[in-house]
Amino acid sequence: MENIISVRNLGFDYGDGWVFHKLDLDVPRGDFVAVIGANGAGKSTLMKMLAHAMPPTMGSISYYGTPIEKFDQWEKVGYVPQNPAKMQRDFPISVREVVALGLISKYKLWQRFGSEEEKKIDKALATFRLTDLQTRKIGELSGGQQQRVFLARAMVKEPEILLLDEPATGIDAASKIDLYDMLAEINGEQGVTIIMISHDLELAAQAAKSALCINHGICFRGEVHEALQHHHKHGYFYR
Amino acid sequence: MLEMFEMEFMQRAWMAGLLMAITCPLIGSFLVLRRQSLIGDGLGHIAFAGVAGGALVGFSSVLSAAIATIIGALAIEKVRTKLSDLADMVLAIFFYCGMGLAVIFTGLNKEGGFNLSSVLFGSLMTVSTQDLWIVAALALATIIFVIIFYRPLQYLTFDETSAKVNGLPVAGLSLLLAILTALTIALSMRIVGLLLVSAMMVIPVACALQTSRSFATTILQSIFYGIVSVVFGLSISYYANLAPGGTIVLTSTILFVLSLILGKSKRIRPAPDPIHCKVCDEEKEETKCNHPDFPEYKKGHHHGRQERDE
Repeated sequence: MENIISVRNLGFDYGDGWVFHKLDLDVPRGDFVAVIGANGAGKSTLMKMLAHAMPPTMGSISYYGTPIEKFDQWEKVGYVPQNPAKMQRDFPISVREVVALGLISKYKLWQRFGSEEEKKIDKALATFRLTDLQTRKIGELSGGQQQRVFLARAMVKEPEILLLDEPATGIDAASKIDLYDMLAEINGEQGVTIIMISHDLELAAQAAKSALCINHGICFRGEVHEALQHHHKHGYFYR
Repeated sequence: MLEMFEMEFMQRAWMAGLLMAITCPLIGSFLVLRRQSLIGDGLGHIAFAGVAGGALVGFSSVLSAAIATIIGALAIEKVRTKLSDLADMVLAIFFYCGMGLAVIFTGLNKEGGFNLSSVLFGSLMTVSTQDLWIVAALALATIIFVIIFYRPLQYLTFDETSAKVNGLPVAGLSLLLAILTALTIALSMRIVGLLLVSAMMVIPVACALQTSRSFATTILQSIFYGIVSVVFGLSISYYANLAPGGTIVLTSTILFVLSLILGKSKRIRPAPDPIHCKVCDEEKEETKCNHPDFPEYKKGHHHGRQERDE
């Protein structure tokens, strides 16, 4: 199957030794990769590099065979940040406005939204059960609802790849299950390729199709249960 | 009442004040929401150095203030992105540096060349037609900038990292915003003075934050509060013979207190996340769905999870 993301010999160093290095990762279309590992193992660093928000110290990342530096189809990539629930509570932005942000691209900086865009926003709001909440300020929602808003923002542009940086942090157990259900549906029914950092090993194991385990520079890529074994062996050993 | 509009200098004062009431909150909305409320204050210090330096070498005070604030704003933006952990401390050093330079330049200047009181506290009543055109051009440029880049600016204000991931030119937009902020400070100093110009960027926005429910209404309401502050502040200053800059700022502070009271009734507490029952296809306020056909859910299981497990 076609690899839509390829990572070769990737390494990152904050200046005090490698966080990880020589990381290879191939992600075929339609895969759901759970990235697991202990705190400080470099999972979020990897995600920032995949999202092109941070350059690697060594190695390369390519999307659809194009090096990330030259890749210009970011409308195909959705991104859900880590712990958005921590945002300032009084930020004056409505749920609908947040979802609409997902439709802005560098090619449409000054484009006004027409009926087609409004329909896409309505659809995303309905899919993530936010229609009734669309006029509420984002800070007036619970953690689980906020996470659905950020998922809707990432999905409104109908991406082929979804990057999630610990999407379930700070939300209650029931909302977590709901979130993983939605992700499994997005991956299974819409065929969106997902790379997700997660600390919820059990839930991630059920939703994901494969896994990448990073623990103190030791990387393992393979089946979910094997990666979990790797995590239990190395993640806890080094802690 | 209408007598204050009969004099030409008052007409210019009103026009300049109202243009500032639009420009300052418009730019200020983005600054306050990016947690850069004090940047206007700091750039005011740097503008002071520009004015004093300009007077020393016989250069136009507005132009020298504009050049100094633009350089300062670009340097601050660089520090904000490169040294985000130390940004607060480095910014303070920038501002003190500006003040230090201003004091040195003022001390070196034995011939005068600028009215210190007018620079620090404003002189709305002495606004010339040329000043008015400059402020009008700035207001127009600011409005056009915000209209064209409204959505990208909204994105980078709300979530800069995600805006970057979406491919938006975050660095370029931030630089443009910094330049426009610098120009607003430099060109508005004649009206309320360098010490108070940042108040007009912050207080009307703070008022709007209490009463608005979206990003768009925050911007519109902040302009509304800015205009109300100028209208009441200028009228009071005219009839009570008070300094216009200070009166405008104190009027906006009173408006802030009123907006706090008004906004309190509008606040909604975060609701507990309802559970979506896939069997009932309904949102449930409880943490469990007690659907009669599924007794196992009464034990605390969630429908969505159960359905997928099965």
